[in-house]
Amino acid sequence: MARLHTILLGSLLAVGSFSAAQAAGQVKIATDATFPPFESVDSSGKLVGYDVELMNAVCKAAELNCNVIAAAWEGMIPGLTSGKYDALISQLTVTPARRKVMAFSDIYETPVFRFVAKKDAKLDISPDGLAGKVIAVQTGTPMDAYVTKTYPKATIKRYDGGSAPYLELSAGRADLHMSYEAQITHSFLNKEDGKDFELVGPRLTGKDAPEFGEGVAIAVNKRSTDLLAKINAGLAKIKADGQLDALNAKYLGEQ
Amino acid sequence: MSWDVIADNLGFFAQGARLTLLLTVVSLVIAFFLSMALALGRNSHHPVLRNAIAAYTLVFRGTPLLVQLFLIYYGLAQFGLVRHSVLWPWLSSPLVCTLITFVLNTSAYTTEIFAGSLRHLPPGEIEAARAYGLSPFTRARKILLPAMLTRSLTLYGNETVMMLHATSLASTVTLLEVTGVARNITLNFYIMFEPYVTAAAIYLVMTFVLVMLFQFAQARWAGYLQARL
Repeated sequence: MARLHTILLGSLLAVGSFSAAQAAGQVKIATDATFPPFESVDSSGKLVGYDVELMNAVCKAAELNCNVIAAAWEGMIPGLTSGKYDALISQLTVTPARRKVMAFSDIYETPVFRFVAKKDAKLDISPDGLAGKVIAVQTGTPMDAYVTKTYPKATIKRYDGGSAPYLELSAGRADLHMSYEAQITHSFLNKEDGKDFELVGPRLTGKDAPEFGEGVAIAVNKRSTDLLAKINAGLAKIKADGQLDALNAKYLGEQ
Repeated sequence: MSWDVIADNLGFFAQGARLTLLLTVVSLVIAFFLSMALALGRNSHHPVLRNAIAAYTLVFRGTPLLVQLFLIYYGLAQFGLVRHSVLWPWLSSPLVCTLITFVLNTSAYTTEIFAGSLRHLPPGEIEAARAYGLSPFTRARKILLPAMLTRSLTLYGNETVMMLHATSLASTVTLLEVTGVARNITLNFYIMFEPYVTAAAIYLVMTFVLVMLFQFAQARWAGYLQARL
């Protein structure tokens, strides 16, 4: 019986360490497709957006056979550390806590974080001014960490995806929502539902609060040093040949 | 393994367990009384009443609970009429929406369980009650409902366990019950095994207590129905 256990355990471990990349010769990259214009699913079911295009360009430049797939936000980072995915691209902000569990490529973009609220709300964006107000954020994001620390007197409601907070804003269940400025503009303000809302408060970046991190990067498993080197080489190429600038112009406009 | 994260968050899990219990107990208690009335109506002579209740149980047993929850929490909020109604202060609360959904859902199943037992009561018991000249209300209170409940215990016990486990869906509308707590820890500490094993253990203990309660009830009130082999 003991021997059977050893064999079973041994085969389990063997399967575990056999990474998905080695198995298929393909790099599996997960993204949380609820975050336009960075990553979303279009009406034909295809993944589209800034991060998806960037990843495909990097893979082409680095001659990697990549497959970008949609995954739930909740399972992404555990999926990377357990070897289900080889890399993640999902506007992941680089923070010290995240560096402990995964490795990051070079930074490819530095996002701006903003609040969005009703036009006539006249909110006082300060710890006391937001006392009792309801702030909606996506769980486990830099925005979540920032508002939790900065606005202890506010009620913070946390959601699994990037789109539910907008439903809550429209419904009046939340007073404010904090997210990436480009995402707020693209997925809410430019739409019919968002016409009564506006960006409020200061434009925040990693320089304003440590929670916002150093910028966004592609995450890989700590053990995948080869893959990381290839991705960085690919990133360097698309930075040099102007592809990244073209992407920034296409999706983020003048910033 | 990062069990220290779980140890640090035991208080958080305790809060989650309290909310899970609240959701389960409130839903089950309201649904219990609602279902007794609906089960009698489900077997009524009036076709309108009978069919209306049948339609209700068909809709709520015929659609997934998660879909019902999203329709009631996110769906209703899209209508200005709902947002500007006097009910909005209640309907804007995730707790109220979740409880409404859970009560409607588990009542549909419980009504069918109770109504089924009612149809299988020995006709003699009901005839005897009529022969004694009991009024319809007394007949229901003294004969039909007790006989119906004792015969439903096993199936109803199952439904309560299902309801307990279904409360995990409340986490999708921002309520931090046990599953919500586990998910929150996953999203902040990037571990999956430890928080969900903890959540599973909490559900297992709660289920065990529930099953024991039903075994006690079975022995206490339904012992006379036990088949002696």
